[in-house]
Amino acid sequence: MSDRADGFVRMRTLQIVVLAVFVVIAARLVYIQLIDDRYEKLAKGNTLRYEVLYPSRGEVYDRNGEYLVQSRECYDLMVVYREMDRGGFDTTLFCQVTGISREALVRELANARVRPRAPRMVMNYMSKEDKLRFDECNFSGFYTVYRTARQYPRKIGGNLLGYVGEVDADMIKRDPSYQAGEYIGISGVESAYEDVLRGKKGVKISEVDTHGAIKGSYMEGRFDSLPVPGKSIVCTIDARLQLFAEELMKGKVGAAVAIEPSTGEILMMVSSPTYDPDELVGRERGNHYMEMLYNKRRPLYNRAIRSPFPPGSTFKLVQGLIGMQEGVLVPSMRYPCHEGYQVGRLRVRCHSHASPLDLRFAVATSCNAYFCYVFRDILENPKYESVKDGFDVWREYVLSFGFGRKLDSDFLGEGNGYVPDRGFYDNSYRKSWNALTVLSLAIGQGELGCTPLQMANLAAIIANRGYYYIPHIVRSVEGQDSLDRRFYERHYTKVDSKYFEPIVQGMWQGVHEPGGTSQLAKLPGLDVCGKTGTAQNPRGQDHSTFLSFAPKDNPKIAISVYVENGGFGAATALPIASLIEELYLTDTITRPWLVEMVKQKQIYYPAYDK
Amino acid sequence: MINNGIGKLFEGVDRWTVLLYVLIVLVGFVSITSASYDDGIASTFSFSHFYMKQLVWIGGAFAAAIIVLLIDASVYHKWAYLLYILGLLLLLSTLVVGREVNGAKAWFEFGSFRVQPVEFAKIATALALARVMSTSTFSINRSGDLFKVGLVICLPLLIIILQNDTGSGIVLASLLFVLYREGLNKWLCIPILLIAVLFIFSFLFTPMTLLVMLILVCTLSEAMMNRVWRSRIIYLASLALGTLVLYLAMFLITPGAMDLYRCLLIITLVSLVGVAVYAFRSNLRNIFIMIGLFLLAMLFVPTTDYIFNSVLKEHQQNRILSFLGLVSDPLGTDYNVNQAKIAIGSGGWFGKGFMQGTQIKYGFVPEKHTDFIFCTVGEEWGFVGTMFVLSLFCLLILRLMRMGERQEEPFGRIYCYCVAAFLLFHLLVNVGMTIGLMPVMGIPLPFVSYGGSSLIAFTIMLFIAVRLDASTRQYYFR
Repeated sequence: MSDRADGFVRMRTLQIVVLAVFVVIAARLVYIQLIDDRYEKLAKGNTLRYEVLYPSRGEVYDRNGEYLVQSRECYDLMVVYREMDRGGFDTTLFCQVTGISREALVRELANARVRPRAPRMVMNYMSKEDKLRFDECNFSGFYTVYRTARQYPRKIGGNLLGYVGEVDADMIKRDPSYQAGEYIGISGVESAYEDVLRGKKGVKISEVDTHGAIKGSYMEGRFDSLPVPGKSIVCTIDARLQLFAEELMKGKVGAAVAIEPSTGEILMMVSSPTYDPDELVGRERGNHYMEMLYNKRRPLYNRAIRSPFPPGSTFKLVQGLIGMQEGVLVPSMRYPCHEGYQVGRLRVRCHSHASPLDLRFAVATSCNAYFCYVFRDILENPKYESVKDGFDVWREYVLSFGFGRKLDSDFLGEGNGYVPDRGFYDNSYRKSWNALTVLSLAIGQGELGCTPLQMANLAAIIANRGYYYIPHIVRSVEGQDSLDRRFYERHYTKVDSKYFEPIVQGMWQGVHEPGGTSQLAKLPGLDVCGKTGTAQNPRGQDHSTFLSFAPKDNPKIAISVYVENGGFGAATALPIASLIEELYLTDTITRPWLVEMVKQKQIYYPAYDK
Repeated sequence: MINNGIGKLFEGVDRWTVLLYVLIVLVGFVSITSASYDDGIASTFSFSHFYMKQLVWIGGAFAAAIIVLLIDASVYHKWAYLLYILGLLLLLSTLVVGREVNGAKAWFEFGSFRVQPVEFAKIATALALARVMSTSTFSINRSGDLFKVGLVICLPLLIIILQNDTGSGIVLASLLFVLYREGLNKWLCIPILLIAVLFIFSFLFTPMTLLVMLILVCTLSEAMMNRVWRSRIIYLASLALGTLVLYLAMFLITPGAMDLYRCLLIITLVSLVGVAVYAFRSNLRNIFIMIGLFLLAMLFVPTTDYIFNSVLKEHQQNRILSFLGLVSDPLGTDYNVNQAKIAIGSGGWFGKGFMQGTQIKYGFVPEKHTDFIFCTVGEEWGFVGTMFVLSLFCLLILRLMRMGERQEEPFGRIYCYCVAAFLLFHLLVNVGMTIGLMPVMGIPLPFVSYGGSSLIAFTIMLFIAVRLDASTRQYYFR
């Protein structure tokens, strides 16, 4: 066959292919457009009603199986404007039955009129009783949709548990699986575990005739699906402890965090002032929310994980550890302290105590001078070329303790805290600075900022003698064998565990021996270890903080309490921490007078209460 | 002077093609208007309407067509490779700076409008293919030349698959149409086509069935190609026998260690060595092509599971699965297609009339102005309308082939066939998916679907063909 003839045959073949495609499509069109009248019927009656079946949201339990969050049945009242019986609609009866105000009804109906075929919500959070009464009256065009609302039986953990709200346009854009009117976790556990708690929507499609009456399910329910309820979660929180701590923190601004050192589980996390999470549910939600938003003490701000506080004297523990690891300090080393540390005109003041003193006693009595010596030795270590290099090394150590960065926990909104770096001081001092310039870091002052969570984590590190588990809030998720792997890994600091013993000793002495600053924290037989902190506050009263763990061997709880403007560490933060420890470890309160004292103490905050 | 200029511009231009083109674009505009008219927007001429935007695109497309006609025909031949490389670079750059839409990272974004470079890459590929295949020494059934052709097609295909835009990638497979016209042995075309079909439907079969089918397809088409039968049958029989023997032997040694599938796979792969030696001795080079094809398919078929689960996005998986009837996804793909069918099916003989389509209007049909635009035609203009549109496309494709046939140079012919192939494939897949013949792949209906890049790119593609054709005819006229 010649080339040309072959080409001709092939062209004909391809023409047949094209015609064949045409015929196949045409045949199919003949079938669906002309022969099969099923589609026409479907289209005619095809005002389908899509009823979204909302899943119930997963429940949240505390570590002992008590409910923290429950789901309660409620209903949304919907309307399809076109299907409403506008002539015979009895507004008065309707308002009476459903409890909606006349103005609101008129407003919602005007809105519904814009898209007459689309279902629109008239009212949400309708109670079951209202719904049953409504069903009896049979208003055409109106129907109810089953929803669940959150309920918080213990009324605790506002910032911790977070709240649920309707999705806004932005969220829908980010994740189209949400639709307007749906609820989504907005902060705390509700938000962090949204995927788990949310469940899966179902849908029921019914065919509706032109009068809005349901004629039956669409295609025998082929496209229907049932909702899958959200999974429940067990929190690491101890509800009783949380409640107690919230009561103790009332009237004070600050935060308290307790961690189980052997697992990293957060036993209690209070940000004060807190709020009753039930207030952010229901129709009054908007009002409550605005009220909180404009409250000067900012109850919606989770101080426990966000607020960078100066750690004050509690930070001396870190200095001591770094000093030993760097080899510039041995525990027996003694430094003199005559009510302060003085170089030229620079003076860091200290309270009066025995002198000279070794590391253990320096921790116990919280000597400022001692740690100024240590800090200078770390920075001015001849091992490093300059003070600035020494500072870099110091900073690396501090970061390894979880400061200045997020701990990568399982809840959202964790703050970084702040550990200044070399660049910061180069900027502030035009590159000319030395160990004395930054000396306030020695005693946890200056630019340093630590969140209460990071401080509690420090307590856990010391309790564990050198490592931590990432603090987390969820213990288990229904249907999942384990949490993310990162929660089971030990994170070691850059300080060897053998250096922790003298520090622990010092913390123990601080509670148990004369001259110690934390003696009030003593609980018989429990070997409490603690460290007070009093962070200077240029804008008012000093901040009071206390860091502690107990028992000394095999610790069960590590805790940090921070009270803004609380004065001495031993004055406000210590009693709170001590009471919490006592309750957790012994299940009893032997010092009701102390509870009373703490509760009585109301601190005045000029900065917030103006 | 002006008259002269315009006259010159249209000298030799195929009037039929231009007429068909304008008609199809008009149909598109009318459909988009109907599909996207929204009572909510007060002014009829507001640019928030899709149809007003489409009007701008149509203006742009006409301008592009005129520019294409103004350029000398030889330019397309000369610049084919340059354009091809540019096209590849453009595709590659989407991987870096592209924007992800519906899971495919295949778009550039300039302010508020987006461009899909793959539409333009198709033109470049067609030009490059035409250029490669039109060199004087080219012979399609020589393995070296075939390799070049494969390279030209596979390079953009690879990038498009990397973009996760598999739907647009598969379009390039339609170039087999062109290869056939240019003399590719039909016993090579058929196995390629079959393997492609196997690939699409591989989820329906067990690996064993797939392997057996592959072996049969390759061996039998090779037998047809070389017209040698007996030894091929013996070969197949010995494969079966060898497999059984191996299976029994393995069963006696360690029961359960090897299943039938692995035995067959091993025997086949081993036998390939023998086949290669045979091919070398008897000087039947095309056997090597077949072996290559088989190995390539083997590379793909067992990896389809992997590709399916890891490469394809969930919505793509759903589309394929729902098309194959393996899952029924409520409110997902199956539902969309069903709604599309209801819309088209309810059109009847004459349709419901302009702007009267209830299915379209009330949002039952998804993507109603883009990928599912054919629904609007079906619902509002009925069977008459769909046949009209279908005929326009059919005539245009046949016309393009005709234009190809009358070219002096193979370059022009091949290019025209490429355009025809693309149009045919788009038509088949796009219309096919709205009536449930094809899986939903998300490729537009040329000239009809809403969208600037698609309309302008297809216009340029078509008018290059017109320009090439015109220059041939100018030659005759003078």
